Formats: sequence, structure tokens, C-alpha cells
Amino acid sequence: MKILVLNCGSSSIKYQFFSLKDNTLVAKGIVEKIGMKGSFLKHEKENGQKVMFEGEILDHEIGVEYILGVLSSPKHGCIKNLNEISAVGHRVVHGGELFTESKLVNDEVIDALVKYTELAPLHNPPNLKGIYALRSLIPAIPQVAVFDTAFHTSMPKHAYMYAIPYALYKKYGIRRYGFHGTSHRYVSARACEILGVNPEGLKIVTCHLGNGASVCAVKDGLSVDTSMGFTPLEGLIMGTRSGDIDMGAVSYIMDKEKIGTKSASTLFNKHSGLLGISGISSDFREIREAASKGDERCLLAIKMFDYRVRKYIGSYAAAMGGIDVLIFTGGIGENSDVTRAGICEGLEFLGIELDEQINAGSRGQEILINKPGARVKIMVVPTNEELMIAIDTQRIIAESKSQDTRPE
Amino acid sequence: MEKMIVESIEDFGLSKKKHQHTLFSKIGVIGCGKDGQNIARIASSYGIEVIFIELSKQRIDFAYEQLGKILDRRIENWGMTQGEKKLILSRIRGSLDYKDLKECDFVIEAIRTESSARKITERKEVFKKVEKVVSPDCIIATNSSTIIITELSSELEHRDRCVSLHFFVQSPEAKICEVVKGLYTSDAVYDRVLTFVKLVNRQAIPVEESAGLISIRLYTALLNEACEVLMEGVGSMSNIDTVWKIGFGMRFGPFELADILGIDKINRWMENLYSEFGDPMYMASPVIKKLNRAKRFGKHVCWGFYKYDEGGKIIGSSPMNSERI
Repeated sequence: MKILVLNCGSSSIKYQFFSLKDNTLVAKGIVEKIGMKGSFLKHEKENGQKVMFEGEILDHEIGVEYILGVLSSPKHGCIKNLNEISAVGHRVVHGGELFTESKLVNDEVIDALVKYTELAPLHNPPNLKGIYALRSLIPAIPQVAVFDTAFHTSMPKHAYMYAIPYALYKKYGIRRYGFHGTSHRYVSARACEILGVNPEGLKIVTCHLGNGASVCAVKDGLSVDTSMGFTPLEGLIMGTRSGDIDMGAVSYIMDKEKIGTKSASTLFNKHSGLLGISGISSDFREIREAASKGDERCLLAIKMFDYRVRKYIGSYAAAMGGIDVLIFTGGIGENSDVTRAGICEGLEFLGIELDEQINAGSRGQEILINKPGARVKIMVVPTNEELMIAIDTQRIIAESKSQDTRPE
Repeated sequence: MEKMIVESIEDFGLSKKKHQHTLFSKIGVIGCGKDGQNIARIASSYGIEVIFIELSKQRIDFAYEQLGKILDRRIENWGMTQGEKKLILSRIRGSLDYKDLKECDFVIEAIRTESSARKITERKEVFKKVEKVVSPDCIIATNSSTIIITELSSELEHRDRCVSLHFFVQSPEAKICEVVKGLYTSDAVYDRVLTFVKLVNRQAIPVEESAGLISIRLYTALLNEACEVLMEGVGSMSNIDTVWKIGFGMRFGPFELADILGIDKINRWMENLYSEFGDPMYMASPVIKKLNRAKRFGKHVCWGFYKYDEGGKIIGSSPMNSERI
């Protein structure tokens, strides 16, 4: 079964094409600057060869058309005919309370997604555009929506509610939804596979640390709490997002700086986080470099980042009544040994004991990095949301076919 | 490193049909004064490419500089990031040649005319020049609020493609836009303009063809009355503004707003409205005329009803009493 996975952003489409017989990635690429000057498609073949396609890509539908065109082209493609694509899986950011798991796309699902664009005005509309594009290009192809929020729908109510008037939850659905769900689900499941244990009874904390960052408490294989909330702004300090902040400070700043909600949103989403503290960059590597030269604010930014993650690990250990496995993933989590070390520092009382030697220099590979005999297993598990989406898509399609048992 | 192969993407479409040009991927703006700059900036921030036509290289450079400044101010006020600024500016290009408008599917005229006698003829010339270079289905619009679009379009070959739309310059972030259908404007064109307005995230306010639309008529009447109140000595300038702002929950008082809009422009509006309606209600107050003659045009020259420092902060007031005009 060959599955195309799409992740449509506001002006980009990332795609990966899987052959699920042996879980191999056959091709991948990205369409960028959709609707802008200098739009292009960058395609990478299975053998690693990259091809750049330049030209006008005016909207998502045209972008998807070119992706299909390249995949099926004799010169650069990997399939002869579009029929070889069994299904398409979409990453969809917001599935609200309705979607607790991945779903086969039909009109009802689309209607619900349209409804949820209010909750994710930046993300859901491009996701929908991708779905519409496929519908118009290959009407018969089954499509599956895999939601960033779905994994967290298992959170108990006392974890996802905010202590604000209940009427607001009823009226607008104001609650914590959590994001990065596909990643947290993938790495927690993969860790169990690697360790050869059953998720039942296991208390895992997964740290997805990338440009956006979140921590998730996974108990018995289910998300019971996560650091992102109603929007991806809550929780950890991120590249340009503030993470947790006192609302009182927010209204005070808006008053003093004479700004409205829109500028405030830009302030906390785009000018804050590591960039806001360091004043240099939102990129952890650049901050590390400046810190190594003694830049005080970069040193502070790093300390604050590590400290915030550490606090969340502690609180989730408390929430679950313990911790058995700690997982690092995402760009920073997978590649930055110093960050992992910084976060784990002082957590020995929880049984979190990092093996400095194994940790040092390990990048982007599945590895156990705790000291031998330590109570908590510390792991690096590179995330693979796309593969997860592909596997989900395959499963949903198979389920829908087995239900579809109308006599011929 | 292995050299990357570069190909043209057009060869990889599924069908060989030429992709239809997406509506409003590129628009033209004639004149890049304050109005033109705002239209260019708004369109560009919604991903549309903008070509603006100016009369000289200096004016183009000046417009760029101003655009940069406006965006910098937004960054300082946390409303935008450096990256976003770069992106917005990269989509705006100035030109001296109308031929560069060739691929635009929407052209908006936003020129400034010094003398009100020439205002219609100049705009008519612009419309004709635009029509010469663009495709027959390109929409041509004016941003002028006191000039009747039917008259502007009357000498064109395709009169059905003209509309008048009015962005709010005093608060460019105001999410509305008045849209006027002229006598000749076709429904199809009008619908497309509504699409454009939606594309730049504004609410379209349909307005029947009438000089001054809704906004300018309301505002000029208000300003005239405020000037009356001031001249009669009923209240001071800043107190009149304060009553309007705090008492009625408005963002700016009538005098502050006049300085932002530009006294010269308001004076022209009122001349147009007066000649259109003949109602003395629209005759510019002597205060406005005095300021206009004294070239105290408002905030952009640091002096109008109020005095301003370079940063646009009010540092003095009272044109009637403490200082002679």
C-alpha cells in the first residue's frame, strides 16, 4: 500500500510518500512560497537525489497537482500511475473535542473542520485546502485526517479545564486541547516497542522540543496532560513564544504599550521566547554559540528553557504518581545533548540519572541515555509524525473497507 | 556536494492545460502617496504582488522609505516581525512605466491632485493610460471618495470594469472598505471587487454612487460643526476632542483626525462635496480654510490644528487663541 502524507501550511506543503509494505519512505519534498514570487517544489528521491522545480505555484491545489505530477513523472517520479496511490493522509492541526482519533474524510468531517477553523485560524484553513485539492484532482481517492489534538482527547477533565467561568467553556469551547499529539503518540509508542514493554501501567513523559515545544504525560499509553493549551502558546518557552505567563502581566503590557489583541498576540507568539530573552535569535544553535562566547542573555535564555522543561517533568511525575520513562524528541530534543543534560540536571531524586558519556554527541538516533541501573529510562526517539500519519491512514482505510461489506 | 537538478515546474502539471491565472495575484497602484502606500502595504501583506506607478525615481524611493518606516513602527509596537516586513516589501515594486501594469488584474488609482480644477481630467487620463496596457478584464478602480466613478469611466472603452473603492487611510487597520458600483459597472466586476476586499480581510460596505460616500460625508459634517463650536468659544480644541473621544468612545477627536487625514485633503473633499450638493453644510469652515492657506496641513508636516514633534506627539494646540494663523 502506498500512502501520500501531506502537511499543508499557509504557504507551504510538505509531503512524504510511503510504501507501507516495509515502512519505507519512497520520496519526500516540500512546496514553498505558494502564491508568492519565487515559489518552488523541492523533491528528494529515495536515493537522496534532490531536484528543484521552479515556477509559478499559485495556490494549494496547483501545489498538490505538481506534487502528484512529479511523483508520477517518468523522469523523476516513483510511480507509473496515480492509481498506485492508495490513500492520502493529512496532518490536521485542530480536531476540537469531536475527533478523538484519525478519521476518514467525508462531508461531515469537512464540515466539522470548517467549524474548527475558529479555534485554529492559521492552521486549519490550509489543511482544508489540501483536502479540497485532492478531492478535485483525484475525486475517488480516500483521504484520512490525522489530528494534532486527537491524542490529547484522553486527558481527564480536571486536566483540560481552565479555572474560568464554566459558561465560556460551554459557549466557545475554551479549554486546553494540546498539540503535537501525533508526535507524542508516536514516540511514546515507539519507546515501548524499543524497550519491549507494554504501555499498560507505564508512566512516560515525552518532551517534544523543537521550534514549538511541548511536554506530555503519557500514562497507560494515553495522554493525561500536556503543556500546550487552548493554543500552542501555553507551556514551555519556545523559539519565539513565551509559554506560560501571568495574564495580569499580559493586560498590564497591553495597557502600557497601548496595543490591541492582535499586536499582543504577535508580541507573545513572535517576539517572545528564546528570541525575546536573548535578543539574538530564536534558533537554539545560534543562542548556544553566543552563550559560549559569554553572552549573558543567551545564557539566561538557555537556563530558563531548561528550567521550564524540568518543572514540567516534575509536575507530570507528580500528576502521574511517578515516572518510568523520559523521552526527548523534536529538533532540539533529538540533537542537543547539552540541552538534554541541562534539563536532567538535579532530577536524580526522581530516578532520572543521565549517562553523560552516552548522551554526549548522540544526535538524531534512537538511543537509551540513562545510567545503567537508573530507575527511569531516558531515551532519545526521533519523531516521525509522517510515518504515524501514513500508518493511521492505512489502518483507517482497512477498517472502512472491512465495514463496507455490502453484497455485490 | 552533489549538484541539484533544477527544472521548470510547468512541465509537471497533470494536465497540459495552461493554469488559469489566479485572481488578484498581482495588482497595480497608481500614485504612491499616503493612500497608495497603504493600499500597496495592505495588499502585499495578504500575499498579493503590487506594482506601483510613480512620476519619478525620487518619489518611488521616498514611497519605499515611508513604507519601511511604517512597517518599522509596527515592529516597534510588537505588531510585526522583521521577517514579515521583508516579505511585505519584497512583493512591492515601483515603476515609472505604465507598461509594467500589463499583468495586473486589478489597478487602483490613488493619485494626488494639487488643484481641484484638474482632478477629474487628470484621473481620466490615468484611467485611459491604464486601459491601454491592461487586459480587457482587468478592473480599474479609484480610491477617491468624492469623485463619481461613472464620470471617470465614461470615456473608457470598457466602462463596465470600473469601480470606486475607499480604504480608510486614517486608520489603515480599519477592517472595512467602501465599495461603489457606478452606472456602468457590471455585476461580475462588482462581485470580483468584493472578492478582492475579502481577500485583504476587509468587510465590504456597499455604497450607492454618491460623492463623499458614507464616511466622508459624516466626517466633514462633524468637523465643520466642531470648528463652529471652537469658533464660538464653547470649548477648547483639546476639550472638544476629549468629549468626542471619551464621551462617545471614539478613537480620535475631530481635530486630531483632521490632522491625520490632512487639512489640504479635507479642504478638497469639502470643495467637491459643496459643488456636488450645493449645501452650505459642506462648505469648509473658515478655520479649515485658514489652516489650508497657511499650509498647516496636519500631522505629516508637524502642524495642523495641533503642533507635533518629529515622532508625531502633540506638543501644542489652539490655533485660534494663543497663536495667530
